[in-house]
Amino acid sequence: MAFNLTRRKFLQTASLAAASVPLAKVVSASTGISRSALEAKGTFGDKTVTGGICEMCFWRCQLVGKVRDGRLMKLEGNPKSIDNGTAICARGNAGVQLLYDVDRLKYPMKNVGKRGEPKWKRISWKEALDECGSKLKKTVDQYGAQGICVFPHGSSAKYPMHYFERAVGTHNVSEASFFQCRGIRDTAYVATIGKAPGEKIDMPNTKVLFFIGDHLGENIHVSHIKQYIQGLQNGAKLIVADPRFSASAAKADIWVQIKPGTDTAYMLAIMNYLVKNNKYDKAFVEDHTEGFDEFFAAIKEWTLEKAAKECDIPAEQIKEVAEMLAANAPHVGIHPGRHVSWHGNDFQRQRALACLTGILGAYYVKGGWVPAKGPKVGGVSWAKEDHGQEFDLNQDHQKDEKIYPFKPPGTPTELIRDCAISGKPYPIKSCVVWGQNPLQTIPGQQKMKDLFNAMDFVMCVDVMPTDVTAWADILLPEPSYLERFDFIKTGTQWDLSKEHQQYISARMPLVPPMFERKDQIYITNEIAKRMGHEAKIPVQTIEELVDKSLATANLSIEKLKAEDGIHIQPGKDPYGVPEDFTVMLFNEEIEDTGHPGAPTYIAVPDTPEGYARLLYGRAPVHTFNRSQNNVWLHNAMPDNPVWVNDKVAAKIGLVDGDTVGFVNSEGVESRTTTTVKVTAGIRKDCVYMYHGYGSANPLMTIGVGAGVDDQSLITKLAIDPETGCSGMRNNFVKLIKDGKVLDLSA
Amino acid sequence: MSPSEDIARVYRFLSQCMQYPDTEWMNEEFFNVLYNLLGTLGALEDGVTIKKEIDNSADPIEDLQVEYTRLFINGVPHVVAPPYGSVYMDKALQGTFAGNTLAFYREKGFGMEDDADFPDHLIHELEFLSLMAEEHDLAGEEEFLKKLFRPWYGLFQARVTEEAHHPYYRVIVQLIDFFTKEEEKDGFQPNKA
Repeated sequence: MAFNLTRRKFLQTASLAAASVPLAKVVSASTGISRSALEAKGTFGDKTVTGGICEMCFWRCQLVGKVRDGRLMKLEGNPKSIDNGTAICARGNAGVQLLYDVDRLKYPMKNVGKRGEPKWKRISWKEALDECGSKLKKTVDQYGAQGICVFPHGSSAKYPMHYFERAVGTHNVSEASFFQCRGIRDTAYVATIGKAPGEKIDMPNTKVLFFIGDHLGENIHVSHIKQYIQGLQNGAKLIVADPRFSASAAKADIWVQIKPGTDTAYMLAIMNYLVKNNKYDKAFVEDHTEGFDEFFAAIKEWTLEKAAKECDIPAEQIKEVAEMLAANAPHVGIHPGRHVSWHGNDFQRQRALACLTGILGAYYVKGGWVPAKGPKVGGVSWAKEDHGQEFDLNQDHQKDEKIYPFKPPGTPTELIRDCAISGKPYPIKSCVVWGQNPLQTIPGQQKMKDLFNAMDFVMCVDVMPTDVTAWADILLPEPSYLERFDFIKTGTQWDLSKEHQQYISARMPLVPPMFERKDQIYITNEIAKRMGHEAKIPVQTIEELVDKSLATANLSIEKLKAEDGIHIQPGKDPYGVPEDFTVMLFNEEIEDTGHPGAPTYIAVPDTPEGYARLLYGRAPVHTFNRSQNNVWLHNAMPDNPVWVNDKVAAKIGLVDGDTVGFVNSEGVESRTTTTVKVTAGIRKDCVYMYHGYGSANPLMTIGVGAGVDDQSLITKLAIDPETGCSGMRNNFVKLIKDGKVLDLSA
Repeated sequence: MSPSEDIARVYRFLSQCMQYPDTEWMNEEFFNVLYNLLGTLGALEDGVTIKKEIDNSADPIEDLQVEYTRLFINGVPHVVAPPYGSVYMDKALQGTFAGNTLAFYREKGFGMEDDADFPDHLIHELEFLSLMAEEHDLAGEEEFLKKLFRPWYGLFQARVTEEAHHPYYRVIVQLIDFFTKEEEKDGFQPNKA
């Protein structure tokens, strides 16, 4: 196109007058600028806004925001915090970039194209909510409440998750944070000590830290790292079992370069050695454990030599570890880990960790596992209702027993997916995804896509257009953690040996939400109204929810604001074993369900010839795929190089920096490539990469195609028999360089 | 009616053209006015191209809504051209550039309403230019164009021109360019004072 005259000539001619008059007729209204009185604004300066709680990861550090003329300029730790203090990590800092990320979801959108190949159209909230409400109601009317499945994650998903579970009545809710992460740890410890363990190791005051796969330093949560570093500074010894020379292994006194999947055998041998040599805590075992004899009988086959062979490590080193633990017991921290869904034998490994802590007497003592005594704040949500067991997929109706007796809350993911795809034992026809990206959090991407394709309706609520959002029919934008109220964080001072204090804080917005983003209370309530549950709505606004919760501790949003976002009160001494505390070294209830009552090693598949086991872990500047589109973090670590053993690399001609793709043992190739990191710091039979790269969604303009998506290569699923959780480290890969597949024979 | 008031109407019309498509305003009368303006500029063919696209569609407004969403909100393969100055000048939404834009509005005695978008959104900048013209503040109009409009508009226009599927947006961004660009020799000159 070219206009046949210049702007100036046009403006000077009568043409303009003639052409401009009709223009006014079709202009609807002003867009938002109006004359305002000239006001003295004073000198612009940063205003410090308190009450922020980070959610760049789930640790939730306390923040303040430096706000200038309505724009968040910088995030810092809240100086009043007795948890993270003034420190925040790289991800915490980069929250500013997330807030103003141009790729963020801004308005409700409807997919007028296909699932997986969307054509988005902005629509009004009314249209979006009407569609969500009517489609979900239709599913319930036609198939029952169980016809809806929900994949939630994060603090904003709790209220809607409770709505669908409690008011609507579906059991089919699966959180990746349980079934693909820490659920096994929690239920294994509940079956051993009656409590989920968290990461409650008194690290600053310990004498020995014992890690199985924990890679603190790459896995960064601020107060956790403060505890860890303080412990090392105070002279704690560090034992790290890891096939890779991780950031923690680099600081270790003993690095156990263990064969993946054999950790339980390693711990059984340590425990057997301690018991056989009378180096366990007899008083603690006498007073606070049950089933010692059965336990010992079950583990006594695990000699140092047998474990050494199984774990591919020296027997002498196992003995050295056991001696170090015994010499420093009970002040030893056996870390429970966090992401533990590794091999499909994980419940037993977590039981072994809990039992090892027990026979060392390392519960409720300085340097051991110590749950801090935090303040009590009540929660407010949808009222619980009994919806029976008829449609609980985890219920074996013929045998009248649970399929996975020690599952975490919700329904195991595979049971939901199999039911949704097959239609058996009943149809599941609507899917709600809220803050989770199941295409990257749950192994088996094709299966997830098959689930979506089997649905009559799919809705997603998120902050960013993650991979899964491309499969939504309706996509709703929610405010980020910097723009909304919700989560109430409580705790104590980070070092338990210091003055005992407790804190209560609530997430408060540092800036108002932009565009048309709406919080979880609004969205859920509006859907509930359309599904006929208006009378059950527990709160009308997110502020009401937070205020009602805080009221149980005689606090309110206003009071917290007046206290700079954090209320601090005197705390309690956490040390001292409660009289009724019991460690179930042998658990009859587990035995009764047909699973081993004592910690038991279950071998995992060996690495096939020519392949290497694919291992993955946390990057210090990313939180899985959630931060992959953050340009600040992306620039800090733009891709995820694959670690390859130096001898293996030399044998096949790989050098540092080579570009490679992957093919797994089931023939699945990676969509993208990454670079090679040649290192002596990994076993020959493994390769390693950071998780959370290689987004397939072009809407993620920064993260798309950057690095390799490890999850796309995890196609062979192991299911933990006690919990139904996923095991994701039984997949094996070869590398592809210049189109040629390379054998990774050790 | 003065030329200044005429150009004020043009700016406001251009701002309207860049609003999210809706049958409330994007109707037959609107398109006829657009075609007439294009004809006056000797660009009748562009009007014909748009009309053909619209006439051949079962739901032309939805087509434009999908295109608007893809180009300016969230799209596949990516959001093509967010209509905010600071995206181009600061590489983020609501950057310093947006603050400078708001400061300019305030300096001239204007402010943003509570439900408005960011101050550096294209529609607000065009509306502000309209207000400047209505007030015969030629110097203010020139300064704003030079400092806060043209520096990013060319980058925005290039993205839309290259990636738009619908002729409507290709034409509109050129129309905006025509009415806002400086012309070295015989055109609009910035105020040197």
